Amino acid sequence: MRLLAGLALFGLALVGTGAGQSFGQLQALCGKDKDGVAQLELSQFMKHVVSEDKDYAVVVQLTALSPRYKCDTCHVVDRALRAVSRGWKKSGGTQKRLAFGTLDVENGEELFQQMGIDKIPRLMIFPAGKGPEAMANSSPREMKLGARNSHAEGMAARLSELFGVEIKADVPVDFTKYVVNAAAVAGAAYASLLAYRHINLRMLGRNVWAVATIAFVLLMTSGFMWNRINSPPYLGQARSGDAVLFAPTQSQQFGVETQIVATGYAACALCVVLLVKHVPHVSGAEQRTLVTFMVVASMLLVYSYLNSVFRLKMPGYPYKLLLP
Amino acid sequence: MRDKVLGLSAHDQTSLLRLAILGLISVVAIGSRLYSVIRFESIIHEFDPWFNYRTTRYLVDNGFDKFWNWFDETAWYPLGRVVGGTLYPGIMVTSATIYNGLRLLNIPVDIRNVCVFLAPVFSALTAIATYQLGKEVKDATAGLLAAAFIGIAPGYISRSVAGSYDNEGIAIFLLVFTFFLWLRSVRLGSAMYGALTAVFYFYMVSAWGGYVFIINLIPLHVFALLAMGRYSNRLYVAYSTFYVLGTLASMQIPFVGFQPTFTSEHMAALGTFGLVQLVAFTYYVRTVASQQHFQLLVRFALLILFVLGVAVLVLLTMRGVIAPWTGRFYSLWDTGYAKIHIPIIASVSEHQPTAWPNFFFDLNLLIWLFPAGIYFSFRELTDNHVFLILYSIFAAYFSGVMVRLILTLTPIVCVMAGIAMANVFETYLDFRKAAPAELEAHDAPPSATGSMKRYYTYFPKIAVMVNFMYFLFMFQWHCSWITSSAYSSPSVVLASRGPDGSHHIIDDFREAYYWLRKNTEPSAKVLSWWDYGYQLAGMADRTTLVDNNTWNNTHIATVGKIMASDEDTAYELARRHDVDYVLVIFGGMLGYSGDDINKFLWMIRIAQGVYPDDVNEQSFFNREGQYAIGDDASAAMKNSLMHKLCYYRFGDVMGPKGFDRVRKQRLPTSVELDNFEEAYTTENWMVRIYKVKELDSLGRTHHAVAKLKGPRAAAHIPF
Repeated sequence: MRLLAGLALFGLALVGTGAGQSFGQLQALCGKDKDGVAQLELSQFMKHVVSEDKDYAVVVQLTALSPRYKCDTCHVVDRALRAVSRGWKKSGGTQKRLAFGTLDVENGEELFQQMGIDKIPRLMIFPAGKGPEAMANSSPREMKLGARNSHAEGMAARLSELFGVEIKADVPVDFTKYVVNAAAVAGAAYASLLAYRHINLRMLGRNVWAVATIAFVLLMTSGFMWNRINSPPYLGQARSGDAVLFAPTQSQQFGVETQIVATGYAACALCVVLLVKHVPHVSGAEQRTLVTFMVVASMLLVYSYLNSVFRLKMPGYPYKLLLP
Repeated sequence: MRDKVLGLSAHDQTSLLRLAILGLISVVAIGSRLYSVIRFESIIHEFDPWFNYRTTRYLVDNGFDKFWNWFDETAWYPLGRVVGGTLYPGIMVTSATIYNGLRLLNIPVDIRNVCVFLAPVFSALTAIATYQLGKEVKDATAGLLAAAFIGIAPGYISRSVAGSYDNEGIAIFLLVFTFFLWLRSVRLGSAMYGALTAVFYFYMVSAWGGYVFIINLIPLHVFALLAMGRYSNRLYVAYSTFYVLGTLASMQIPFVGFQPTFTSEHMAALGTFGLVQLVAFTYYVRTVASQQHFQLLVRFALLILFVLGVAVLVLLTMRGVIAPWTGRFYSLWDTGYAKIHIPIIASVSEHQPTAWPNFFFDLNLLIWLFPAGIYFSFRELTDNHVFLILYSIFAAYFSGVMVRLILTLTPIVCVMAGIAMANVFETYLDFRKAAPAELEAHDAPPSATGSMKRYYTYFPKIAVMVNFMYFLFMFQWHCSWITSSAYSSPSVVLASRGPDGSHHIIDDFREAYYWLRKNTEPSAKVLSWWDYGYQLAGMADRTTLVDNNTWNNTHIATVGKIMASDEDTAYELARRHDVDYVLVIFGGMLGYSGDDINKFLWMIRIAQGVYPDDVNEQSFFNREGQYAIGDDASAAMKNSLMHKLCYYRFGDVMGPKGFDRVRKQRLPTSVELDNFEEAYTTENWMVRIYKVKELDSLGRTHHAVAKLKGPRAAAHIPF
């Protein structure tokens, strides 16, 4: 809260009290932006936002949207705030004198430095200090940007709670997703229609299902879902800059590990199937012997590799096959 | 094999061998689960088993009626818990029955020993059930292999070592046996086996929440068979018998109650039941209608019914008539759900997704025999194999999403690996006849001498067998090693080895609980994080605020808030909740990483979910964004009750340059604590118990009192 108190003081020092701030001027600033989020300069921020005896409320994000700051969260919060602002504009926004604004680090560097703001984005709320909408506690406050408040609906809900009016976020509908999904469904339907007409399903069916099932099971048992949920990097990087295939702990993995391991499992399983289904039918005793040995050797080799990778992930594992 | 050995025919010899092998497998299965008893003692492990143990004792002491109506006012203070209606009583009733049976035979055993050894004994039964399942789907060889696999697979051992007295210990046996009965009832079309399936399903419902897996998988099997055009009267008889009896029986468990009639988890079974009736009806119609009309009728009827059924289901769910999926199940489908909405589910480490080393760790070579087994099942594709394949798909998915569900994957992996291995054995272990290609090539002129020919026939077979035998040996070593090193710690008692190899037992938990039991009022309320609730109730016999039955998120969040607030707020909250003692687990002295400071972030997250205004996760990270505990920690961290309780006076024992052995950070230089008073700290500082001070008799704050008494007076221990 040191920040907030300091902010208020700083504002007072800069512009003095009652420097003719009015809601109309701020609204004009908001009008310039398509979503109604005023892009504030430092002086405007001081004049319209910070002052204590204004009769309207302002919600301002302190942020750094320029690409050179590489602040992804800033953009997430920005999108959310814009959605809330749009929603407020759409629903008329007449029940309450409330405006939204942005203070970017490029405009307010001086302030940011002076206040020692080391963490962005931040969402500050400056309630009305006088007039009919004045809040009991009109000191500025910060809204914590947790997982819940960083998306538009959550932010709108919290603001509604705070101001006691209904604020609805206007989240743009992602039409591309619908179009892509519809196209995929249509394509799948057409493909299955074609398949139904031209392919004898009874002949094909079993193998296709078998391959699909095995592929699915292989993916699941080699950590695919872990990757989906934790989205790890595809490859690791050693200090020297070389690519690293395997994360050295048991509870972590890189994206490529799933592919390697699934392939390894598939190769071993294939060897077993070959040994049972195909190898005994190879004609010629010598050839059959040769093929048998080749299949067994490749199985042994692949399994040894998997085993050695596992040893790498779990130091202290005592058993090994051909490879260290 | 014409000759008789010991007067037994070949058939009898085989039976005897099978019996002997199965017996040995059972012995190995039980034996490999006893590491913990041999190394430590016959003790109940971990957290949940303590609750089961406590309730079992209550059941044995007070009888079934009292157990059924038990309201436990010492848990979830001040709310209490209706125990009889909120638990799966299967495991307690099983133990109590065994206990009473043994008493009847004049074998006096301690109920604790019954509880400790229940899971290993049931694992032997699981091996036998798996043998039956393998025999049902392939042959005795596959059955024996599958039984041997499941007997020692770490994926199952992890939940069934001696002392791990938990629902899963008996539930996996019930799962496998129910599936075996189901497959047999479908194969034979027998109402008796259908009814038996229902009986074991009922047992399963009474034992474990995982019964939902059965009541979804069996209908799915039926539905798949219908979709494949494999309707038969056998299927109709089996499913109708099972569903009606099983559902009625399952509703007798109070915790389940009327759920089978209105929750989404059970709707698939109901829908399939309706579908089977309709299909049966159409097959009847076929006997009276013409072929062409009939086919058209069936196709359209099926399509429309399916669409209608789904639509009605969705509609009813949206209107709230059918309860939506419960959070834990929902988080299985929408994997991001838990992270955002239910931190209490996400906080449990066994609810995390599974990285591939976990699979390899728990299943070793079975994990790649598994796909081969699926392939062989597709070659056969009888009704039974359809079931196995469906089971594989779903179990694989679920185990990928949640680590603990490797447990449900293990049986099917063992059966599939058994099938794959049996196929290899069949092909390569038969030295009597030549390979098929040999026979085809019989017309060709002999290219080698007789001995060379025999060499070519036998040598590859021997090579393959040696290779696989070695793999199997390695599997056995792997399993023993994993079991011994990873799954045999009771986690109530810890063991460590000194640099000289000496063995140390760390018994801080029981020391602390025993202290509480002997030195505090029987009505004292102890506040701790929910992980230790069951142990506190079981070992210390004191009232707890929250425990491992995490039914009330708000109450847990309140405890989290108390831990995360500053001393004064926490004091007020603690007094308001009648708390007498606060217990924290601290690993900084020993380097025990599962302590409360490491769990603290989850407490904060859970508290923040309910009290977003009072607790904020971000404020517990310092300016550099680190989760620090020393002097560079954030203000919120340093002021939090948890931090103070853990590090209070810790600097005194570690010296001015001491550091925390878990976090590997320097200790905070000063920790002031006025509202709480250190009551007991165990030998290795793992458990620290604080008394919440009474209000000052002169109405001063405790800070003022401490100031008056001067520095360190607050640290005075009054005994």
